[in-house]
Parts: sequence; C-alpha cells; structure tokens
Amino acid sequence: MELMHEQHFRAVENLVHEWARAIDENRVEAICELLAPQGRYTVKSRFNADRNLPIALIDAHSAAQLRDRIKSMRIANIYEPHHYRHIVSGVQIVGGQDGALDVRSSFLVIRTMELDGTMKIFASGQCRDVVDIYLGQARFRSREFVLDSRAVETLLVIPL
Amino acid sequence: MNCPNPSTAREAPVSFSALSARRQWPAEGFTRAPYWVYSDREIYAREQEAIFRGKSWHYLGLEAEVPDAGSYKTTYIGDASVLLVRAEDGSLNAMLNRCAHRGNMVMREAFGKAAKLNCVYHAWNYNLKGDLTFAAFRHGLRGEGGLPKDFQLEEHGLQKLRCESFCGLVFATYSGDTPPLQEWLGDVADGIRRVCNRPLKVLGYDTQRIHANWKAYHENPRDSYHANILHTFYGTFGLSRQSQESGMVLDKSGRHVYFYTKAGTEKASADDKETASALRSNNDGLTLEDPSILKWRDEFGDGVSVQILTTYPSFVLHQIANSLATRQLLPKGPGQSDLVWTYFGFADDDEETTRTRLVQANLAGSAGMISVEDAAVCEMMQRAMGDGATGESFIEMGGKDLDGGGNTKLSERAIRNFWNAYRQDMAL
Repeated sequence: MELMHEQHFRAVENLVHEWARAIDENRVEAICELLAPQGRYTVKSRFNADRNLPIALIDAHSAAQLRDRIKSMRIANIYEPHHYRHIVSGVQIVGGQDGALDVRSSFLVIRTMELDGTMKIFASGQCRDVVDIYLGQARFRSREFVLDSRAVETLLVIPL
Repeated sequence: MNCPNPSTAREAPVSFSALSARRQWPAEGFTRAPYWVYSDREIYAREQEAIFRGKSWHYLGLEAEVPDAGSYKTTYIGDASVLLVRAEDGSLNAMLNRCAHRGNMVMREAFGKAAKLNCVYHAWNYNLKGDLTFAAFRHGLRGEGGLPKDFQLEEHGLQKLRCESFCGLVFATYSGDTPPLQEWLGDVADGIRRVCNRPLKVLGYDTQRIHANWKAYHENPRDSYHANILHTFYGTFGLSRQSQESGMVLDKSGRHVYFYTKAGTEKASADDKETASALRSNNDGLTLEDPSILKWRDEFGDGVSVQILTTYPSFVLHQIANSLATRQLLPKGPGQSDLVWTYFGFADDDEETTRTRLVQANLAGSAGMISVEDAAVCEMMQRAMGDGATGESFIEMGGKDLDGGGNTKLSERAIRNFWNAYRQDMAL
C-alpha cells in the first residue's frame, strides 16, 4: 500500500479540497461532477451510526439524486441565505482494494448568515470516502459525512 | 398498558394573578395570539407548570425503544429530564431522571439496559420501577455517620409519572386526574391506529435545533393552510395539492388534530386553477432527474399519501408517503426548541420496504427536501416578533369560531383550537 499512498495522495487530497471549495464558493452543482454517476453521497450522525441505525439526513444514491437535491435547494426550498466555510484536515489514505482507496478526513463547517452576519459552528465530523483512481484522475465512488453531533442547527439544505 | 399512578401529591398551583394583570390577551380571543406569548420568560415558566407538568399526556418514545426488561430511554417532558424504563414484569415506567437524594441525573445514556438505576454520585440505587433499594453507607461506619434511624427507603424513590402506551407509542403525564390516554386522544386516536397497526422498528433519529419558541413550531403542523403554499416540493410532484381529496379531524376538546391528503384524486375547478397559478408551490420548472424517490406504495390501503397528526402540546406523528416518524417537541427556553424525529418502520418490513422508507427520509427532517422550510419560517417569525411588545397573529382563515372552516384544510381551525386550549390551561 505504501507505494499507492505516495502515488495518489496528491490527487486524493485535491479531490477532497475541490469538493469543499465548490460548496464554499457557491458552485454547489460542481460537486456532482466529483461523484461517480452511480456514486453515493450520505450525511448521517454518529449517534445513529454508532447504534447501527440506518437513517441518514441526506442519502443520494446517484449523482442525479444529488443534482435533484441541489435543484430543490436552488428553486423550491425556503431558508435564510447563508454560506459555509469548510475547514478540512487530516486527509489520509487508510487502505484500498479493487482499485479504490479508502480515505478519511476531518471537517469543520462554519455557517455565516447573510442578513446579519451571525457565525456559528454548524457541523464537525469525519468523512469516510471511497475514491476511484482512473488514468490519474480521482473521483468519489462514495462520500459519507459522519456528523459528531446528533443535532442539526436549524436545517441542512446546502450539502456539506 | 397502565403503569403506577404518581406516588407523590401534585404540587399546589402557584398564583399567576400578577402575570395575568400585566399580560392582557387581545379581546378577540383565540383568533389572536399576542406576540409576547412567544418570548416572555414568565410565560415560559408558567407553561412548564401549567402545561408540561399539567394535565396533558406527553410523548416519551416507542415501546420498540425499550424492548426488554431493563431497557431504558432518557428523554424530557418540558425542561424535566425523564426516564422511560421497562421493568422485569414487562411494565413501562416513567419517572423523573433526578436522584431523590441531591438531584443528580441518574441515567446519562440516551438508551441502555440496566439491572438497576444507579446514581453515580452517592450510589443510591433504584429498581426498574424507581423505588429506592440502597443508599451507600446508610448505617454509617463503626457507629458513626449514616442516615437518621427513621429513614425509610420507600419514602425516597424517584418521582413517578403516570405512563400509558397506545399502539406502541408511550406517553406520560404528571396528572392523576387526566383521562386515560386513549380517551384523552378521542377521535384523533383513529389516525394513530391507522398508521401504528403492528409492532414497530426504529430506523433512527434526527434532532433539529430550532431557534424559536416551541409554540411557533407546534402551530406549524396544525396549520393545513400553509402546507401546499410554502412547501413547493409537495405540489410540484403531486404528493399533496389543495385540489386533492383531503380533510381534517379534530377531537372534541380541539386539542388534537390530523390532516390527510389522497394523492391522485385531483378535482379540477376554476378557482383552484386561478389560485394555483399564483402559488410558488406549483412550479413547473421543477422536475426531478430521478423521480424514484417519490415512488410510494399505498401500504394502508386507503389512498392517503400524507397524514400529519398533532397532539397537544408537543407531539407529531407523520406519514409522508412511506416515510413514518414521530416528532417530539422539547422546549429549551423561550427562544429555542429541539424537535426530535424518530423514524420507524414495522418489525415485519422486508428489505425493500425498509429501503423505500430510508430513501423517503430524504423528504422530511432537518435536511428534508419537503419540510426544510418549517424551521426557517419559525425562526423568521421569532426574530420578526422580537420582544413581543407589540403585535398579534390574525387567525381567521375559515372563520372566527372553533368549528369555523369545518373539515376543509383551507382553515386555521386547528390553530384557533390550540389557542383556546392554551388559554384554558394558562388562565390567560
């Protein structure tokens, strides 16, 4: 595995940061391009995960379902305008098989409300990702955000 | 299932006369809600006394969450930490999660299994029904220290609440006088019976922290007027539209209500067409690339695609297509509430049914594509109402009386009935 880590680390790290930057720059739609068409995007709480309870806050079974959710966010849903800032750290390749890499990272998301500038720690947790490497390009086969807290501040409408 | 009656006498009601003199409800009555009622600290304290420690039944959880002898769940009624425990004889027991000795929280896991309830501070032990069985060094050491000679274990149990379950949903009350749970629910019990018709299975939890007064949220699922207006997702995809067959059922007291809508029963009418074109919720630009998320099965065989059921003052049961959940509303001070969603299916669900419920969980909850608006509206209301010194809600959709509007969903009848019950309980 050592060799693979050396070889692919930059591509994996870049992929993880690319996702966060797309959301923080309000180009949310762009994350769908970083997920395989049949990929899975999930946000769940550690509270449920630790108890083997299957419910997720967000569970998209394809890039199309993720695009639908973002479309709903843009067109249908009502919420107070706000932005995220992702602080991503500790990107590690922890294993791999079948040409895919198991990747872990930590995230902290700070939410800033547009109207009056209120800032709050919105979420923290761990990403448990599976990344495909193909012709030197990295793409998520699955992205799982595991939230440290069982509680969500107000609502989760912009994907993490 | 009946549990023991409260062993302790009810506290004497405190006098609210000073507050009532300062706070004057608008003369129109239950068609108005003054904005101070959403932010006043004294009102909040009175609610804890008169409503949460009063005569209502409060939802604690599902029987499926405490399946075995010794299974327990920690939760809240209002601000009070409460334990739900299944004892060796299979009975469900509710009690304050507060040691009778010095007030420490007895159990500190959300869920667990225990042979006894042990307070870590001084090792006071209670059995699964909340009776004190042991107090460390009760007789002192070498003739020194210890509790007084006249100390009686049986006088120092955890404070017990009255506890009953209906269709697998467990409720508790501080009151010995309140009618039995099913009687208290009245006609609205039918809406619970319809959904919770066999043993349940928990799928998971979601706590939504809403920075608004608990009543702003409680009014929301009683408000059938907003459902097809605010929630674009519903209308666009045909899950619920105003033109569909729908209705409202209230119990005799007006405290509890459920709404239902039957998908695929559109009745065309000129006035609907005219209104629909003005609604943001009928948005033709919104189509789903992958509509499989909306595929649902009429599992109860009556065509109802959405049923939202609310009991006074803090419980909701929803069926949104095949997504089933309870919502427990926990006040956390005048300006905050936690809404705890418990998603469930049935113990006999096959894998595909479970998968459908999990996929449709995307529609509701903190990140629900349908329901995400509700928390936003509650918070915007709270901020716009400010300190509540001026202003009041206008609640006359469907008429000015408690029956006005009949069974149509285009009515605020269920909200008027809420304020009517609230004013009775609060002597306002």
